Amino acid sequence: METNLYLPADYPAEKTATVNTVSTVQPYVYACVFSSLCIVTGLIWDISWHMSIGRDGLFAPPHLVIYIGAVVSGLFSGFQVLKTSFFSNPEEKAKAVNFWGIFYGSLGALFCIWGAIAMLTSAPFDDWWHNTYGLDVTILSPPHTLLAVGMMMIQFGALIAVIASANHLRENQSKTLHNWLFALAAGLLLTTFFTLFSEYLGKHRMHKALFYQIGCLLFPLYLIAVARAFKMKWAATATAAVYTLQLLLLLWILPLFPASPRLGPVLNHISHYQAFDFPLLIIFPAMMVDWLFLQLHTKKVWVKTVSAALAFLAVFFVVQWFFGTFLHTSVLARSWFFGGTSWYFGSDPNYPYRYSFRPENVDTGFTLIKGLMIAAVIATISGSIGYKWGNWMRKVQR
Amino acid sequence: MKAIKTVLFLLLLLIGKIAFAHVGSPGVVYEGKAGPYNIIVNVNPPDVIPGTANVSVYIENYAVKIVSVQPVYWYAGDKGSPKADEGLPVKGTPGQYQASVWLMQSGTASMKITVDGTLGKGTVLIPVMAVSTAQRAMPKSLGWVLAGLGLLLVVLMATIIGASVSDGLLKPGTNNLPNIRRKKLTGASIAFLVLALMLYGGSSWWNSWSSNYAKYMYRPPLAKSSILNYDQQQVLHFQIDSNSLKAAKKSMSFIVPDHGKLMHLFMVRENSLDVFAHLHPVRKDSLNYFALLPDLPQGRYLVFADVVRWTGFNETIADTIVVPKKTWVKTASAKLYSAFFHDPDDTYVISNSTNQNVDNFPGKTTLVCGIPGETMKLADGSSAIWEHAANTPFEAGKVYPLTFAIHDPSGAAVKLEPYMGMMGHAVVLKYDGSVYMHLHSVGTFSMASQEILQNRMKGDEKIPATPDANRFRDSIDREITKIRKMDETERNRYLMASMPAMDMPEGKHNKMDAMVTFPYAFPSAGKYRIWVQMKRNGQILNSAFDATVK
Repeated sequence: METNLYLPADYPAEKTATVNTVSTVQPYVYACVFSSLCIVTGLIWDISWHMSIGRDGLFAPPHLVIYIGAVVSGLFSGFQVLKTSFFSNPEEKAKAVNFWGIFYGSLGALFCIWGAIAMLTSAPFDDWWHNTYGLDVTILSPPHTLLAVGMMMIQFGALIAVIASANHLRENQSKTLHNWLFALAAGLLLTTFFTLFSEYLGKHRMHKALFYQIGCLLFPLYLIAVARAFKMKWAATATAAVYTLQLLLLLWILPLFPASPRLGPVLNHISHYQAFDFPLLIIFPAMMVDWLFLQLHTKKVWVKTVSAALAFLAVFFVVQWFFGTFLHTSVLARSWFFGGTSWYFGSDPNYPYRYSFRPENVDTGFTLIKGLMIAAVIATISGSIGYKWGNWMRKVQR
Repeated sequence: MKAIKTVLFLLLLLIGKIAFAHVGSPGVVYEGKAGPYNIIVNVNPPDVIPGTANVSVYIENYAVKIVSVQPVYWYAGDKGSPKADEGLPVKGTPGQYQASVWLMQSGTASMKITVDGTLGKGTVLIPVMAVSTAQRAMPKSLGWVLAGLGLLLVVLMATIIGASVSDGLLKPGTNNLPNIRRKKLTGASIAFLVLALMLYGGSSWWNSWSSNYAKYMYRPPLAKSSILNYDQQQVLHFQIDSNSLKAAKKSMSFIVPDHGKLMHLFMVRENSLDVFAHLHPVRKDSLNYFALLPDLPQGRYLVFADVVRWTGFNETIADTIVVPKKTWVKTASAKLYSAFFHDPDDTYVISNSTNQNVDNFPGKTTLVCGIPGETMKLADGSSAIWEHAANTPFEAGKVYPLTFAIHDPSGAAVKLEPYMGMMGHAVVLKYDGSVYMHLHSVGTFSMASQEILQNRMKGDEKIPATPDANRFRDSIDREITKIRKMDETERNRYLMASMPAMDMPEGKHNKMDAMVTFPYAFPSAGKYRIWVQMKRNGQILNSAFDATVK
């Protein structure tokens, strides 16, 4: 049905103008990708801050990095909309969507503006929330959720902006720059998804079926979507690579800096930042998804989707189960490279399951098989939705 | 339109939340030593936990390098406490330092003040009860701003989704495709619907958050007071309501003595505040406390009972009671009556305001209340004066040293004796009953709380295990009996030895001068009465003063 929205070659469409759609990456696209980087870096730094220092204020350094992301994307996108609406020729306007009668802007910019307003709205809301229900140290509260949705919307806007820009490329134009921008935008958004669900995706849960069910809910949806959305051979792999690199860099850099707890009780006396999680090895199932899409490109959609989703689960399970054993229990993982010793200051460092799996967190036998079968169903459904989502993103023109 | 209404409705919900009046005097004031330094500390704890306490430290006349404030919780001890916050000097007020300290969990906390200067290092621990007592409403202006922004977000998102499935997919330069308008409208309508559902979900989440907060707000235990009669003698039965303990899973088995008494109970005749009694009920079991009532005039009384838990948590259980006319009808058994005794530290006083010359209580000694700067006559012929310039009203929120001096009938300064181990006790009550505070010369906190926290400093960061309730209660009862059997000198020595903040050399108490100072900051404007209790020649001297706070 969506294909109707494309102009068929023989469709006698009225053309308002002959638009020369040569793609140059507009400044707001760079700005939005930069914002996406700021947001996710600030978010992970903030988590690390809460694990190591505990308390923060409105203008704590990680918050400032997030705000920079919001402000930059809001200003650049807002400027893009105002410029297109009031200071552009009809040709420029013809590349944008018209809304509320007078405004013209790209979809990417609109998502970014929405995200910036949502983040702005969450600030006074959160301030009131703290005064009314207490200074929270939880990730999820209504104002924080609004903030998180705003952040994701900015990152999504960046992704859409890159895709739309790439869709204007001519056959003979180089796509390298767009490929890089896409991998960055998509990878950074993947990092945010992972971070928001990290409570369920920790290393101590890697032997539990729920871990794979949550993983299958998120990753086939997103990886199949990005693989479908962008005409790039290894799109999902590149996305996962950016995610991996970003988490690794933060895992290695943050603990270099001193930090000491500013809230009690302090059970784990630390002197440096406690790192966030080692990345999941999504890069391997992502490669499988890309490879299958290449192999099965002539097959029916459902064949591609179901194969990719199930292959995702198979590779994800094998890789992550064994890697989980290493990461959580091996002495070798307790090094700067894997960040295995990272531990919240308020938790007892002698917790008996710090380096071993709690029996409740291990599924075996039929429970595991049943859990994985549920994960397979989830993966298939999420992969199918992902394919449709990717299909839509693939078509974004403005 | 429906979605807009939903947004407005849901966002307006936050405007109309009902404010919950806070009762009491939450500030904590300390005046005394921090090692070699004389300091005054004023702690304004947050009324929502987690929150920040504002701590002001005033230091007298010494060159100070650093003042630091560390929040030390009973459950975490000194070893489990975070790094201290440095107090910043207040510009224009030499010797004053200000710090903002985070209190993250409800419970017994304290501020560990460390002063480092030319005389070396000195520390003091000031108990602070960290509890959520406030339930706030959203200011209307903020509500409207958020409602406006929320509406903008809803409309903008519906617009974006509408465009995403219609013209956003058109190749640049084309604007005419079949059904494009319908697709846009469908997209926007579905978006509105989804957003409305999300807002509804968000609102339910918010409501559950709010009710969860309300559930864990601090509520003091409740009690039911009644009067029993036995041969023209009235007995107060103060029964703690066990239902009021359930929500916070509290147990009354873990009460510890403060100044050698399990409970300090104050009765003040409502509205006129002319009758004041300070009693020390004893317990029959963990919930039932009894005290022989002195010869109190009939009337309706406000009751405030102070207790301290083994964790150092200090709370006031409030109630009201009507003291009826005495009768010969026995409502207490002989067994019950004989189980209780007259506590020599129980006392009461009747005082009228200066402008009230009517003798409402014939046959009883009625004092005339003092006011700042003017002398009042006491029951034993001596006089008391509140050392504060007459006609100078007090300012709410400002720390004052409330200083009272006693002179004998000849006008000479008298020697005061300790009363329950302290130079003096004072009770501040606002005329409307909304503020009640029991304070001592070192400040507004419980001495028992301070002692418990001081002892906790030696432990590690692990939460101490809860003791067995029966064994704990028995051990406390044995301690109370032991104290009761001591003679007064021995008892005072025993009680003073366990008070960390007194910091007075042995024997100095015998030379106490005639003056007692209570540091206090009145929390709000209004009319207050202050009862001061001291001891001279083995007699408890009660005095009462009125004060106006602007």
